[in-house]
Amino acid sequence: MRRIELFLDGELGDDLRVEIEEHLILCGPCTDHSDFHRNLKALIRSKCGCDEVPAHLLERISRAIHSQTPPA
Amino acid sequence: MSRSQATAEEEALRERFERDVLPLLPNLYAAALRLTRNPSDAEDLVQETYLRAYRGFGGFQEGTNLRAWMYRILTNTFINSYRKKQREPVTISDDDVEDWYLYDRLGGSTEASAETSVLERIPDEDVQRALEALPEQFRMAVWLADVEGFSYKEIAEILDVPIGTVMSRLHRGRKSLQKALWETVRERGLVRD
Repeated sequence: MRRIELFLDGELGDDLRVEIEEHLILCGPCTDHSDFHRNLKALIRSKCGCDEVPAHLLERISRAIHSQTPPA
Repeated sequence: MSRSQATAEEEALRERFERDVLPLLPNLYAAALRLTRNPSDAEDLVQETYLRAYRGFGGFQEGTNLRAWMYRILTNTFINSYRKKQREPVTISDDDVEDWYLYDRLGGSTEASAETSVLERIPDEDVQRALEALPEQFRMAVWLADVEGFSYKEIAEILDVPIGTVMSRLHRGRKSLQKALWETVRERGLVRD
């Protein structure tokens, strides 16, 4: 699991990554687990990162910035 | 330096800030919502983050990681200003959660290879609530990795913790999230018992 997690997060070094990739080609159960967790990551991304920004917020922030002393 | 020179430089800096930093607003707002769990606090948190960033922008080195820099400010602002207001559980009970918790359960309750399609039928709000239910340090790690796609090293810098801590928070946070999603799937009747 830990290895698959590192693999899916893109955090394995080249040697281990290749080793996992080669294993996944041969091993159906590991491929299913890996695919599922890849999909789970994608699901969190698509369902949690898409909140609509309130229309007035950009203007509110712009106004606040303009009323500030410029950065040093 | 003459007054007009200073003003021109200030104006250039502000333009650069607006050009480079304002487009990050949708991401930062969504992150703020997950952190504060309510729109009004999220707006305040994002505005405060932008103001702090603007004040410090002169010291930001162009070409370095602007997104990570903004997230660091967002996180620090949240910790300093907002967390005090909220009662936060700081522990997570994942001892009884196996690594493949959700996959194993869905596998026993759905047709073959249907595990992912069950997930897709969970309403957005339910996935958001499940993430928001994680204690904040786990929630932020999962958010930064899965939604923003930051590397462990970047997350470690944003949260100011060692990489090993990032890995542990991700692993445990994801396990806890799997358990929460499984409860949602069952409550919604998306699988047979």
